Amino acid sequence: MQLINALLQANTTAVATATGTAADYFPIGIQLLFAIGFVAVMIGGSHLLGPKRRTADKLENFTSGIESHGTARQPMAIKYFLVAILFVLFDVEVIFFYPYAVNFRDLGWQGFGEVLLFVSFFLIGFIYIIKKGALIWED
Amino acid sequence: MNAIILSVIIGVVMMFCSVFVPNKNSYRHIASIGLVLLLAGNIAEMHGFSLFHINTKGMLSYDNFGLFFNTIAIASTLIYVLLSGRDIQKIGTYVAEYFVLIFFVLCGIAILSSYNNLLMLFLGIEILSIPLYILTGSDKRNMMSNEAALKYLLMGSFSTGLMLMGIALIYGATGSFNIEVIHAASPQQGANGMSELSVSFLEIMGMLLLMVSIGFKVSAAPFHFWTPDVYDGAPAVITSFMATIVKVAGFIAFIKLFDARMLGTSVETNKLIGVDWKLLFAIIIICTLLVGNVTAVFQQSVKRMLAYSSIAQAGFMLFALFSMNDVAKEGILVYSVAYSLATIGIFAILVKMKDFTFEGYNGLGKTQPVLAFTNTIFLLSLAGIPLTAGFFAKFFMLESAIKTGTYLWLVIAAVVFAAISVYYYFRVIQAMYFKAGDAAVVEAPTMSFKIGLLLLAAIIIYFGIFPQALLSWFYF
Amino acid sequence: MPIQYYIALSATLFCIGIVGVLTRRNAIVIFMCIELMLNAVNLLLVAFSKMQPVAAATNTAARNAANVGIDGQIFVFFIMVVAAAEVSVGLAIIVMMYRNTHSVDVNFLNRLKN
Repeated sequence: MQLINALLQANTTAVATATGTAADYFPIGIQLLFAIGFVAVMIGGSHLLGPKRRTADKLENFTSGIESHGTARQPMAIKYFLVAILFVLFDVEVIFFYPYAVNFRDLGWQGFGEVLLFVSFFLIGFIYIIKKGALIWED
Repeated sequence: MNAIILSVIIGVVMMFCSVFVPNKNSYRHIASIGLVLLLAGNIAEMHGFSLFHINTKGMLSYDNFGLFFNTIAIASTLIYVLLSGRDIQKIGTYVAEYFVLIFFVLCGIAILSSYNNLLMLFLGIEILSIPLYILTGSDKRNMMSNEAALKYLLMGSFSTGLMLMGIALIYGATGSFNIEVIHAASPQQGANGMSELSVSFLEIMGMLLLMVSIGFKVSAAPFHFWTPDVYDGAPAVITSFMATIVKVAGFIAFIKLFDARMLGTSVETNKLIGVDWKLLFAIIIICTLLVGNVTAVFQQSVKRMLAYSSIAQAGFMLFALFSMNDVAKEGILVYSVAYSLATIGIFAILVKMKDFTFEGYNGLGKTQPVLAFTNTIFLLSLAGIPLTAGFFAKFFMLESAIKTGTYLWLVIAAVVFAAISVYYYFRVIQAMYFKAGDAAVVEAPTMSFKIGLLLLAAIIIYFGIFPQALLSWFYF
Repeated sequence: MPIQYYIALSATLFCIGIVGVLTRRNAIVIFMCIELMLNAVNLLLVAFSKMQPVAAATNTAARNAANVGIDGQIFVFFIMVVAAAEVSVGLAIIVMMYRNTHSVDVNFLNRLKN
């Protein structure tokens, strides 16, 4: 019991120093203040100092020189949506590579094999959506 | 392990069948073959023959109870596909995918029956739920199906959020996701720099949130309100699957989670603050039985009545959690078989009906005698009439509660509610035999369908006379 | 920083999520509130996993101090991935709903009442 208590104490202090206190966040706070201040000064400065000429042409949305027409709230082809959903799915799966990348050397060939297995499951899903025609753009 | 991996592999194979096999009629045969393979794989594992040796670091643990439950779930699914395969085909155009999703649900069930770590509980519940959201909405042009899918999705992900919060709090209090560690851990002074009181408070809050979220999944009152709408809106074939196999799997997860927690005294004595779990479950059981049985009496549609009746049956299954002794564990296995088989049978007949109201069943005894006869046996089993499997299921549950020696009023209340349930089950039987009318079926049932129904009824009566036959497999 | 701040922050976010789910009427906003709940949990898990001295003491001292509580962070990855799967299914269902009713208001969901 004594030993466990001693261990507990030791580890608590060790981890406590490792995680740090509020004082360690001081530089981050400074940086945050500086960033906000910089942006505020720049926007405010250009707003105050810059000349203002409000004409109809200037107030129009800039769309690469092409005349804009209609609003953005129009129904779009469902295909965009399908691609977006598939992108979300396949994109987020990549998250599992992060732990692997960190322990790349320790895991060795066995880890590599398992990642290959993971990627192959990925590919199976990808082949499936291609075969199902989910990515065909033209009707 | 066999069941988890094989179900995924067969699911993926079926996925590609949808691309390479053009004949839509063949999918259900492929699914049946896949289920037989899966069943064989699981039974092989019960006899100590494992195809895959993967070190899961104690995240999954295989005991007889879980494996036997897997066998029950897979066998029920096989019966379900054999009986209702044609109707699954009729839901929509993506026939193979429906079967694929069923296989993925089975994978979730296999994880839930063997998890030993809260991460696996979470993954199992999600692997089980996400395919079900899709299956609920599979009738794409039907507004009711859409609505049911959206409701199920919102409620399901909400309860997932609650569950995750519970897991996070438990992790904060005990420092582990492993169930055995969690139940063994007593709060220690100075954990995370918090006082002992707040640590045990975190842990209790976590367990309560977990209880609420799994209560959502098994539709225990007062977390049941999504059930009638979702079961009513989903295509009837899918409701059959959701109300039986999936719901029972939720109970297995529930039991595994609270197994160690309920064994000790009713109030946790080693904690500074504790919850009287027995009293809590007793209240939930009473609410569930009350809501399920009383509301079912007033329903006009048989499908909606069955949804409420599934809530009522969940109340009985909760007795296993309440008493949590050996009888309860045997009882939940018998209950899951009796309830699943009877409900699958009733839904298989319901799908064939043109009109889902009670009036739609008028005179079925004359027009389709085989359907009416088997339907009667299934309903009697659900009501818990002797000589059917349902009787022993309820009997085991109540016996386990009596053995705990406390809360006898709960047992008496359960018997009263079982008597109420006889009323609405008998309304269907009354409509079939004693009311004039010509119950219309969508299409004439085939000979094999009738034989299947008769076999299912025979199984139910067999287990009603020899309930030990089922349990002797369990101990083999 | 003491753990209580993290618990308070994530509990606040979680409650905002719950209130949103219970009060909002737009299916997509409800879905965003659910995501907020999940992210509150992620935050809490990461905070707990970083401040996990108990596990280190009760398990063997041989466990590498850097790896203490790493399982909490791995759990966060799983939550993210599962949430993505849920979102893709959920958005698909909402789009299906929209194509049929031209609305994402959950007040429209009243066909299934008695």
